[in-house]
Amino acid sequence: MHDVKRLYVIPGDKIVEGNHRPLMNVVKSGNALIATRIGIAEAGRDGVKVIPLSGVYIPRINDLVIGKIVDHTSLSWEVDINSCFSAHLPASDVFGRDFSPARDDMGKHLAVGDMITARVLAFDRTRDPMLTLQDRDLGKIATGELLKISATRVPRLIGKRGSMIQTIEQATHTRVLIGQNGIVVVTGRDPEGINQAVKAIRMVEEEAHTANLTQRIKALLNVPDSPQEGQNDGAKPQEMAESATERTEGLEVESEK
Amino acid sequence: MTQTRNLIDENGKRTDGRTIDQLRDVKITVGTVKNADGSAFIEFGKNKIVAAVYGPREVHPKHLQQPDRCVLRCRYHMSPFSTDTRKNPAPSRREVEISKVMRESLEPAIMLEDYPRAAIDVFVEVLQSDGGSRCAGITAASVALADAGINMRDLVAACAAGKVDEQIVLDINDVEDKEGGADMPIAYMPRLDQVTLMQLDGKLNSEQFNECLDKAISGCKMVYDIQREALMQKYFGNETEVKEEQ
Amino acid sequence: MSTSKRSTIIVEHLRKQQMMESIGKGKRIDGRNFDEQRPLEIELDIIKKANGSARVKLGDSEVIAGIKVSTGEPFEGLEDKGALIVTAEVLPTASPHVEPGPPDEEVVELARVVDRGVRESEMVDLGKLVLVPGKIVYTVFVDCSVLNADGNLFDATSYATVAAILSAKIPVLEMQDGKVTDTGKTIPMPVTCVPISITQVRIGDAVMIDPASEEEGAMDARITISTNEEGYCALQKGYTGSFTIEQIKKAAETARIKGEEVRAKMKELTKFGQKE
Repeated sequence: MHDVKRLYVIPGDKIVEGNHRPLMNVVKSGNALIATRIGIAEAGRDGVKVIPLSGVYIPRINDLVIGKIVDHTSLSWEVDINSCFSAHLPASDVFGRDFSPARDDMGKHLAVGDMITARVLAFDRTRDPMLTLQDRDLGKIATGELLKISATRVPRLIGKRGSMIQTIEQATHTRVLIGQNGIVVVTGRDPEGINQAVKAIRMVEEEAHTANLTQRIKALLNVPDSPQEGQNDGAKPQEMAESATERTEGLEVESEK
Repeated sequence: MTQTRNLIDENGKRTDGRTIDQLRDVKITVGTVKNADGSAFIEFGKNKIVAAVYGPREVHPKHLQQPDRCVLRCRYHMSPFSTDTRKNPAPSRREVEISKVMRESLEPAIMLEDYPRAAIDVFVEVLQSDGGSRCAGITAASVALADAGINMRDLVAACAAGKVDEQIVLDINDVEDKEGGADMPIAYMPRLDQVTLMQLDGKLNSEQFNECLDKAISGCKMVYDIQREALMQKYFGNETEVKEEQ
Repeated sequence: MSTSKRSTIIVEHLRKQQMMESIGKGKRIDGRNFDEQRPLEIELDIIKKANGSARVKLGDSEVIAGIKVSTGEPFEGLEDKGALIVTAEVLPTASPHVEPGPPDEEVVELARVVDRGVRESEMVDLGKLVLVPGKIVYTVFVDCSVLNADGNLFDATSYATVAAILSAKIPVLEMQDGKVTDTGKTIPMPVTCVPISITQVRIGDAVMIDPASEEEGAMDARITISTNEEGYCALQKGYTGSFTIEQIKKAAETARIKGEEVRAKMKELTKFGQKE
C-alpha cells in the first residue's frame, strides 16, 4: 500500500516512466505518463491516476445528483445539474407510461426552481444526461439549507465509507444530502447545528487536499478525537483516491412526516 | 519598420532599463474572477490582463455543437482605456486576428475530444497594454484553463523576441514594438517542446531569425516557470511534497 | 424593440424559502440588514496609462473604470462645454450568462443610468474644459468594464466612474498656432460635487439596498437613485414589478442617507476638496 508514488501535479507534468496503466486524468506520451489536470497524482500497482482539484462536474451513470428545475416541455423537465450539460427528466418517469399532457400538469408537480434528488439513468457522448426519480429517497426536496461546492471535493466530503460526513452529521445533529455534482443540502432542527455543519463543509472544500483534515474538522465541531479513530485517519490522498474510485453515495433524503 | 533612433544605450540598457536578455517582471494570480470556472490575472511588464474560462459548458446555438469534440471559442479584447489613445469598444480587425491566433495557440494543448458536444470559452481582456499583450494573454489563458480543470496535454507559455538596434532582444516592450526592427511572438508547450503560435513582423536575415526564435523559446521557458509557480501556490500553498499522515 | 424574457437567474426554491424566512425576521439571506451594503473596496489609479482609473469591488461585483481625455467637437447645442461620454461593457468574463457581442438592453440601460447620474449632477465642470468655444473642446471618455457580476452593477459601475473622475489628472492643453498642444502639465479633473447612486430592490413587501445577484433573481422591482450634496439628480425604476408611493418616498430617503455615507467614504479616499 505504501509503494505508491504521490505528487502534486499540473497539466503536462510527468508522473512516472514505464509500462503503467493510465487510469484517470492521465495520458501516455512516449514512455511516460503525463498528468492532464491539476491535482494529486498517484502511481501504484494498478495504474496511474490524477485526483483532480478543480473542474466542472461530468455526469456518470448511477450518480446521485441534486438538480434544479429550469424549464419544461410537455414531455420532460429540463434540470440544471451544475454540469456542462442540462439534464432532462422525462414526464413518463414521474407520471408513468400512460401519462397525458392534458391530465397531468407538469408545472404543478415540479415547478421551475424546485430542487430534486435524482439519479443519472443514461448519459453518453451522443446525448444529454437523462435522470430518474424512480428509486427510494429520490424526489423533490422540501426544505433545507443549500450550498454548492466543487464536485472534485465531494469524495473528500463523503470520506472513506462515509466517515467524514457522518462525523459532521453526528456532531451537528443534521442530515447532509450530497450530490455527486457538488450540490449539498443540510437539514436539521437546530439552526446553530446547521450553521456549524455548513462551516465544516466549507472547510472540507477549502482544505480537501491537506493533511490532518479530519482532526481539524473534529476540533472545529468540538468532537473528541478518540484513540481508535486516530488510526483510521489514513493519508488524505489515499482517502480521496479510494472515495473517488468507490463513488460512495450521498446519504438519504430526510423524509418529511 | 526601420528605426529612427537608438533604443539601446552604450551600456546595453534598453528604454526600460533592461538588458537584452532580460524578461520584464511577470506576476500571475490564479482564480481572480469569482464567477468563472477558471481564471488568471497577469501583469507582464506594464500589461495588465485578465483571462477567464467558462467550460466545458453547453453550446448555444445548438447547431454549432460538434459530435466528437468540444468547440473552443476565444475572445481577445482590449478595454477602451487600455491603450495610449482611447480604443473604440467594438472589436477591431487586429482583435479579430489575435482572437484567432490565440485560439490556434491553445487548441493543440487542450484535449478537445474529452468534451464532445460542449464548448470551452476563453475570454482575454486587456486592461492595460504595453507591447506583447497577445503573449501575456495566451499565458494567462493557459493558466485559467488549468484552473478550470480542463484536460490539457501541457501548458502553453508565450513570449516574444525582436530586433532592436540590430540586436536580438528578449520580450520587447511597447516602444520597441512601435519603433524597433522586428517582432516575433511565440507560444510554446514546454513539456512537448512544440510551438503553437508564431508570427513575424519585420525584417530578419537567417542568422537573426534563428537567434530570435531561440531567444523567444528561452523566454517561454522562463514564463512557464512563473505559470507553474502560480498554480502550485494557489492549489498547494507552500507544500511541495504530498504529505503522508501517520 | 424590447421583449419580455425569462429570468437568466432562476433562484432555487430552497434559497427563496430561506430568503423569505430571513426577511420575515428582518435580515437578508447573507445576514445583512435591509439598509446594509456589502463590503465596498475602491482602488484608485490602477491603469497608469489612463488619465484616471478606479477598480471597485462591491461584494463580488467587480468593475474597472478608465478615463481617456482627448479633444474634439462639442455636442450640438453645448458649444461652450467639454464633452463627457460614459460607457459600460459587461465583459463575457463576468458571468456564465453573458454572450460576447454588442451590448443588450440591460447593458445599454446600465451605461445610460450611470451616465445620467454623473451628467445631471453636473459633477464635472464641463465649462472649464473648452479650448475654442464652439469648435474644440476636451472630450472625456469614461469607459467601464465589468469583470465579475454579482448583483448591483448600477452602483458598482457608478462608484467606479465617480472614483475615477475624482482621482483623474488631465493634461493641460493650449491652442498654439491654431493647433492643440500639450503643455506637459496636468491638473485634477474640475469637479463640483460627488453624486452617489444607491440601488434598492423590493422582494415581497421588503425593500433592501445593494442587492446581491441572488436577490436580483428573486426581486419584484428595482430602483436606482442618485443624490449629490444638494439633493436628487437622477433616478431609474427597473424590472417588471411596481412600487407603492410610500415605498418610493422611503426609498428616496434611504438613498439620501446611505448616499451621504458612501459620499463621505469616497471623498476621504480621493482627498476631495483638500489642497494638493
